[in-house]
Amino acid sequence: MGETTSIKDSNKSASSSLFKRNVRKFMNNKLAVLGLVIIVVITVACIIGMIVGVDYGTPVLTDMKQAPGNGHLFGTDTIGRDLFARVLVGGCYSILIGAFCAVMSSVIGAILGALAGYFGGKVDMILIRISEIFQAFPQLVLVMMLVAIVNKRGLGNLLFIFVFTGWMTTFRMVRNEFMSLKNETYVKVCEAFGMKKSNIMFKQILPNVMSPIIVSTTTNVAFFILQEAALSFIGLGVADSTPTWGNILNAAKSVSVVTNQWWIWVFPGLAISLFVLAINFFGDGLRDVLDAKQQ
Amino acid sequence: MMIPMLLVISFIVYYGLQLTGIDPINFMVSPEMLSSNKENVEALRESLGLNDPLIVQYFRWLGNILHGDLGYSFDGSSIASVIAVRLPYTFELAGYSLLFSTIIGIGIGIISAVRQNGIIDYVGRVLAVLGQAVPQFLVGIILIQVFSIKLGWFPASNRVSPDATSALADAFFHLFLPVLTLTIGMVAVLMRYARNTMLDVLNSDYIKTARSKGIPEWKVYLKHGFRNAMKPVLVILVFRIPALIGGSVVIETVFSYPGIGLTMTNAIVSGDYPVVLVTTLIIAATMLICSFMVDVFNALLDPRVRLGE
Repeated sequence: MGETTSIKDSNKSASSSLFKRNVRKFMNNKLAVLGLVIIVVITVACIIGMIVGVDYGTPVLTDMKQAPGNGHLFGTDTIGRDLFARVLVGGCYSILIGAFCAVMSSVIGAILGALAGYFGGKVDMILIRISEIFQAFPQLVLVMMLVAIVNKRGLGNLLFIFVFTGWMTTFRMVRNEFMSLKNETYVKVCEAFGMKKSNIMFKQILPNVMSPIIVSTTTNVAFFILQEAALSFIGLGVADSTPTWGNILNAAKSVSVVTNQWWIWVFPGLAISLFVLAINFFGDGLRDVLDAKQQ
Repeated sequence: MMIPMLLVISFIVYYGLQLTGIDPINFMVSPEMLSSNKENVEALRESLGLNDPLIVQYFRWLGNILHGDLGYSFDGSSIASVIAVRLPYTFELAGYSLLFSTIIGIGIGIISAVRQNGIIDYVGRVLAVLGQAVPQFLVGIILIQVFSIKLGWFPASNRVSPDATSALADAFFHLFLPVLTLTIGMVAVLMRYARNTMLDVLNSDYIKTARSKGIPEWKVYLKHGFRNAMKPVLVILVFRIPALIGGSVVIETVFSYPGIGLTMTNAIVSGDYPVVLVTTLIIAATMLICSFMVDVFNALLDPRVRLGE
C-alpha cells in the first residue's frame, strides 16, 4: 500500500514540475504572453463595461454620427448611440459567442470522436458519414441554411447553429487519436481488468488527447468570433438590439458610412482584429508548449 | 458516393425548409383574397400539388430539377435564368481568386523557405498573421475606401456597367477588388503552409543527396523540392475550397457582386425558399466536384496515391 501512494506522490510532483516547466516555456514566448495580456485586458474591459451598465441602446438623435471626442470616446453611430459603449457590450457578446461555441463544439466533437474512435465499426462509419455531409458545405453556407430553417434571429439560435455546425474538426482529430491510442498497452490492461468502457474512454484515453483539444478550442474562439462577424455583416446574425462586434460593423454596408463616418467601422474592426490576433498568438504559444509532436 | 450524398443533402434541405412554415400561397395571393375566397385558394393549392404528401412533392421537385427545370422564385422569375447569369460570375470570382492566391501564396511561401529569415520571409509572416486576424469583409471595406472612394480607380459594386465599351475591361475593373480581397484572405494561410512544407522538404535527405551530386541550386529547389512540397499544399487546397466559397458569399455582399452567394443571402433574408434550395444545392454540388478533382490531381502528382486504394 505504501508503495502505491509513493508512486502517486512522485507522479504528482512530476506533473507539477512539468506544469512549471510549461509555464516557464510559455512565458519565454513573448508574442504568446502579449496575446494573453491583450485577451485579458479586452475581456475585462468589456465585462466591466457590461457590469457598470454603460448605455448602449438609447439612440440620441441630436448626437447622430458624431466624430470621436466631445463626450463620446469612439463617437456615435448612425442613430446616435454611443459607439464606445456598443463596442464594450458588443465585445461581451462576441467573446461569449466565441468562447461558448468553441467549448461546446469541442465537448461534442470530443465525445463523438471518442465513441467513433474507440468502438470503430458501424458507429464509426455512421458518425463519419454524418460529418462528411456536414463538411460538404462551407460552414458559413451551412450556418446560413440553418438560419433560413430556424427563421428567427436570436442569440440562442445562433449559439445552437454554430455548435451544431462546428464540431466536425474536433471530432475528426479526436477520432483519429483514439484509433491509434486504443491499441496501446495501457488500454489493453484496463480492458483486461474489466474496467467500464466509459471509464476507459474518458478517464484513461481522453486525458492523452487533451492537449490538441485545448489548442484547437483556443483557436476556434477566434474562428467563431470571425464567423459571427461575417454572418452579422451580411445581415443574418443576431438582431440589432443585441450588439456584437459584427453587428456594429453591419453599418459599414452603406457606402456613405464607409466614406464619411470612419469611426463607425474602424473601432469595432480594430477590436475584432486585435482580439483575434491575440488569440492566434496565444494559441500558437499554447501549441508550442502542449503539443509534443511539434517539437 | 457523390450522387447519394447530393440526394441526402437535397432531401434534408428540402424537408428543413418546409419546417419554417412559410406558405408559398401567401406570395401568390393577396391577404384579402386569402380570407374571402377560401375555396378558390384551396383549389389553387390542390392544383399546385401543395396538398400532396411531402415526399411526393420532394420527388416531383427532384424530377423537375433533373429535367433542367429549377422552378420559379417567389417573385415569379425563372430560377434557371437567374442562375445562368449569376453562376458564371461567381465562378469568375472564385476561380481567379483561387488561381492568384495559389500562385502568390505558393510563390511567396517557397521564396520565404529558400531565403529563410530574409526580408520577404519576414514581411510574408507579418502579412499572414494579419490576414488571418482581420475579417475578410473588413479588408473589402478598406479596399473600397481606398481604391474606389479615395482614388476612384475601381467601381465599388456590381459586375457590369451599363455604359461599358469593352466587356473585357469592364470585367477587369469590376473583378479587381473582390478578387483582391478574397486572394488576400486565401494567401495568408497558403503562404504559411507552403513555407512550412518547403522547409520540411529542404531539410530532408534526398535534397542533401541532390545537392551533393552537384546539381545546380535552382534545379534542386524546383525539380526536387517544389514537386514534393506541392502534394501537401494541394491537399490543403481541398480545405481551402470551402473557405473560398464561404468567403465569396460574404465578399459578394460587400461588393454587391451579383453572384450565387448574394442571390442566396438575399433569398434567405426575404424568405424566398425555392431560390435558397437551388443555390445551396449548387454550392454543395460544386464542393463535391471540387474535392473529387483534387483527389484526381493528387493521384496524378504522386504515383503512390492511386484512386480506389
